Amino acid sequence: MSEPLLIGRPSDAALGDKLLGTTWRAGGTGWRIAFAITGALTGLLIALVTYTVVTGIGVWGNNIPVGWAFAIINFVWWIGIGHAGTFISAILYLFEQRWRTSINRFAEGMTLCAVLQAALFPALHLGRPWFAYWLFPYPSVMEVWPQTKSALPWDAAAVSTYFTVSLLFWYLGLIPDLASLRDSAPTRRRRAIYGLLALGWNGKATTWRHYKAVYLVLAGLATPLVLSVHSIVSSDFATALVPGWHSTIFPPYFVAGAIFSGFAMVLTLVIPARRVFRLHDVITTKHLENCAKLILVTGWVVAYGYITEWFLDWYSGDPAEMYQAFVARPSGPNNAVFFLAMICNVAVPQILWWTRARRNVWILWFVAVLINVGMWSERMMIIAQSLQRDFLPSQWGDYSPTWVDIGILAGTIGFFTLLFLTFLRLLPFISLSEMREMTHELVKHDRRTPAHGERHDG
Amino acid sequence: MADRILAQYEHEDALAAAVHRLRAKGYRALDAYLPFPAVEVEDALIGPALTAPSRLPYLCFVFGVLAEGTAYALQWLLNGYLYPLVVGGRPPHFPLAFVPITFEMGVLFASFAAVIGVLWRGRLVRLTDDVQGTPGFESATRDRFWLEISAADPAFDPDRTRADLAETGALRIELPEVGP
Repeated sequence: MSEPLLIGRPSDAALGDKLLGTTWRAGGTGWRIAFAITGALTGLLIALVTYTVVTGIGVWGNNIPVGWAFAIINFVWWIGIGHAGTFISAILYLFEQRWRTSINRFAEGMTLCAVLQAALFPALHLGRPWFAYWLFPYPSVMEVWPQTKSALPWDAAAVSTYFTVSLLFWYLGLIPDLASLRDSAPTRRRRAIYGLLALGWNGKATTWRHYKAVYLVLAGLATPLVLSVHSIVSSDFATALVPGWHSTIFPPYFVAGAIFSGFAMVLTLVIPARRVFRLHDVITTKHLENCAKLILVTGWVVAYGYITEWFLDWYSGDPAEMYQAFVARPSGPNNAVFFLAMICNVAVPQILWWTRARRNVWILWFVAVLINVGMWSERMMIIAQSLQRDFLPSQWGDYSPTWVDIGILAGTIGFFTLLFLTFLRLLPFISLSEMREMTHELVKHDRRTPAHGERHDG
Repeated sequence: MADRILAQYEHEDALAAAVHRLRAKGYRALDAYLPFPAVEVEDALIGPALTAPSRLPYLCFVFGVLAEGTAYALQWLLNGYLYPLVVGGRPPHFPLAFVPITFEMGVLFASFAAVIGVLWRGRLVRLTDDVQGTPGFESATRDRFWLEISAADPAFDPDRTRADLAETGALRIELPEVGP
């Protein structure tokens, strides 16, 4: 059964007006309310970050033994969310999956906004963020150099590379559309701004040839990059000896979780955006359904990760590991996150086996939100719960976040949404040149097979 | 005196057909301006006498390898030579632990090369160029396909080329004046 990727066959001009028009059509009261709420949360974030930096991280719930808590949980969660954007834009591009076309720009924007949130936390977690540059090998007169055999400088390199490459990939994809905006913008001011951003693009065929070659290279570079980033993040834990951290399953398990949570975030954002901008003919049920299927697949990889971890804990015969997996997590302090992770990440996604659930936007949206919650809980389970129950009972402790921790988490959600809404308002969030290319291909395909024209385009 | 002639077509197939007919008439310095990279036009334009496939991927490869070599050497310099410290049982020079940063720097600089390469080859990062401002040319990024014949083409002659283009079904033909 093949659902269409594009409903109708709009002309180039109509497609342009539809997809570029999102940037100049006036927003209504709903937008003002959304900007007010997310702006207020961003204000809260700035206030609480200032409070933390001025006072010190004693205002957080971190303690000994739980020295890594909300900051690291949020970092791992946000950076994982970013992964789906790169997965859609790079990996699906290499596999020539046509359904990525109308959602890739959107997902790349999400990646950038999410990685910005993530990047905030390691710096804050240092306690003295003004020394964050010590992570990089600058010419230091102290002659104390970064220790590149530790996973933490790997992280600094991986996350900064990931952000930079995602930004380049996203901007390169935007250039032709910015030129399109320049040439069809209704006001002189917009023409000037978009004209500057378009860097003088004129769509010359020789430039397009270099552009396509380079786009493919960037997709090829971003593919191993996205797999490496969460693998390296997982090394922060896997190279330590803490029971619940010290495991070789971590890199693939973290990458699967990252793509899983990222697709959930894509659905959380794309379902309302499609409704607000009335883009049902461009972002069709087929796109949502494909995302749902990938959630199901990556959800099972995550579940397999849990099972492997339990098996290895048992098979190792190590009392501390077994205690961690079978006693501390389900029945120790903060065990709610264990059950939330199991319910939201393993049980809830199973509803997506049913076609009807995959095509119902309400069910899909609620499943996606629950997965976001579940994946955050999983990070809390791995990070804070493991530290609560170390090898020696005399080292055991408990953890509870303070209002500052919770406020900063809420603040990053607000800031993320604010950045994303700004992106939706100011830039074309569906790649116009790629949509045009696809529409022309589909029209030609229709012409070759007139009898099945409308249906067989997937 | 114009240094090029521009012709507008309704769709990519018309432009590709025009390219084939003009090449048969001996025109060689052809290029096009397209709202999206239409395969038909690229296939029509690629040829030994015209444009070759992009070699930018080789540039990316060279930059990537150089960056990887530099990153590895820097890690050796810092941790193996200047500040040798045994951490977690790993010796000062421990190749396996140097892999992640080496890889990341390779990807980072290959990506820089990719983007800078396309900006350089496409002569981008400019405010305007010789074709912007041609009447109707703003449609090149919207829904029309433009063919360009350079005045450097041996077969170029303003009047005859205009007639040749009209024969191929061009919607409009423009000779942009070279600006100051």
